[in-house]
Amino acid sequence: MPADRRFLLLCGGEILVVAAGDLVVALVLQVIVLAAVLKSRRGYPVFVLAAGLFAGVIYAAGSIALLGLAVALGCGYLVLVLRNYRLARWAAGGDA
Amino acid sequence: MIRPTRLAGGIMVIALVLAAVALPLASPAAVLAAGSLALFLLWRGWRFEQDLTAAAASLAVIREVDRMILRQGAVVTVRVRADLAVPAGIEVRVRDLPPAVAAGEGVLCEPGKNATYTVRLMAPGETSFGGCVLSASDAFFACDLTCRRFDNPHLRVFPVGTPEAGRGIGIRGEDTEVDRKAALTGQGVRGFRPYQLGDDPRQVDWKVTARRGTLYVRELAGLESGAPLIAVDLPAPGGGDPAAFAQFSMAVYGAVEEAIRSREGCSLLVVAGGEVVRFLPRTLASHEALTALGGLAPLEPRTPLYRTPGPAALAARARMNGRGVVPEERAFREQFSGVLSAFAAESPANFAAAVRAALGRAETSEVRLYSLLPAGDKSHLVQLTREAKVRGMRVVLRSPAGAGTIPGIDAVEVL
Repeated sequence: MPADRRFLLLCGGEILVVAAGDLVVALVLQVIVLAAVLKSRRGYPVFVLAAGLFAGVIYAAGSIALLGLAVALGCGYLVLVLRNYRLARWAAGGDA
Repeated sequence: MIRPTRLAGGIMVIALVLAAVALPLASPAAVLAAGSLALFLLWRGWRFEQDLTAAAASLAVIREVDRMILRQGAVVTVRVRADLAVPAGIEVRVRDLPPAVAAGEGVLCEPGKNATYTVRLMAPGETSFGGCVLSASDAFFACDLTCRRFDNPHLRVFPVGTPEAGRGIGIRGEDTEVDRKAALTGQGVRGFRPYQLGDDPRQVDWKVTARRGTLYVRELAGLESGAPLIAVDLPAPGGGDPAAFAQFSMAVYGAVEEAIRSREGCSLLVVAGGEVVRFLPRTLASHEALTALGGLAPLEPRTPLYRTPGPAALAARARMNGRGVVPEERAFREQFSGVLSAFAAESPANFAAAVRAALGRAETSEVRLYSLLPAGDKSHLVQLTREAKVRGMRVVLRSPAGAGTIPGIDAVEVL
């Protein structure tokens, strides 16, 4: 299965990222590993920029940045679900 | 709703494991790995949503059927083609949704390619296709989007056995095709009521106004909130006009389909004489409703009633007081109330109790009663109406022209 192969590749890559220790090396490795998982890299620089910003926040604030990111991601997923709900309503013939 | 694939689920698990390791060890690389994986999933979800929106906006469905006017039970061949712009990285398939009253499944079609399938239309009335389902997926997310706006063409299905002028043999020989419009064109107007200050003047019905000599406005179907209860009074076999019964069944099927299509749903109560034949509370599934209607054939009542007003009417009579009447009548009314109260507990009213339970479960504000009002006792309809009125429900009777009415009805509409 291609998805399983990609998942194994990702697991191996994450071990390398954690083993790297240094933040900059880990960021570069992470960007390469995740790019390898993707079929189409359309819009990938946006993610690279966001990951770079997150690395900067970790450098400045330490591990607590993960909690801040968790809150921000929670809001992001909520917005995503609401957008999907609006799309489903529009498709069903209701208001967008 | 958007849902993650196995790969996305695996990435979530890795991110959680890394986060659990990173916080106690205070490893910046593990924190970065956990956070960036979660960020990656959000970004992929966002991209998938954008691609799905673009695909849905570009979707165009062309559907052709071999006939648009046909008989109940006839087979229709549907040719469908879905065109859309598929963004890079996602896979899209379109599944056509046949009409709700059709037996048979729609087909999956590849974008830009024709697909053909057949369905059999099982219920009479006007019907249309259910739209199509856009199934999109990439490596991380998948979503099924139901697009209802592609419901053309509209089909007209005539009941089996209705004699119509201008009929001919269908293309398969076993079906009869009709090219004349039926009298029933839809369920748009629910009833009429006197004009009140503030009503929209465009809703004034000038024919009814001229007949009654005062302004009447149309009340449109679907303006009441909540799912209505559609009560169907099955006539006894043998005595009626087959054409009138065909029109009656068409109106019932049309009302059920309209209620389900409007996404309110409906409850169904089928009665024959003093017997509840079937009851289906609050359904949105058309196949359930059609099964409950069960072909709508005349039925001999097994528990006929005769001049039985029911407990609601008797309770109202028992509550009558003697104020404002002569002393003799007051004494009579008091005695009468006493007798009614004394015997109330001794006389079971099974039909009224069954109807009461059904009305309680239906949780509706409107009962639409379909009846041919044949000659004979109408106690069961009186009881049904009174039970509904006790609960403050509006009762609309739909019956053939000139068939009369029953006490307590709010509005009468002609089938």
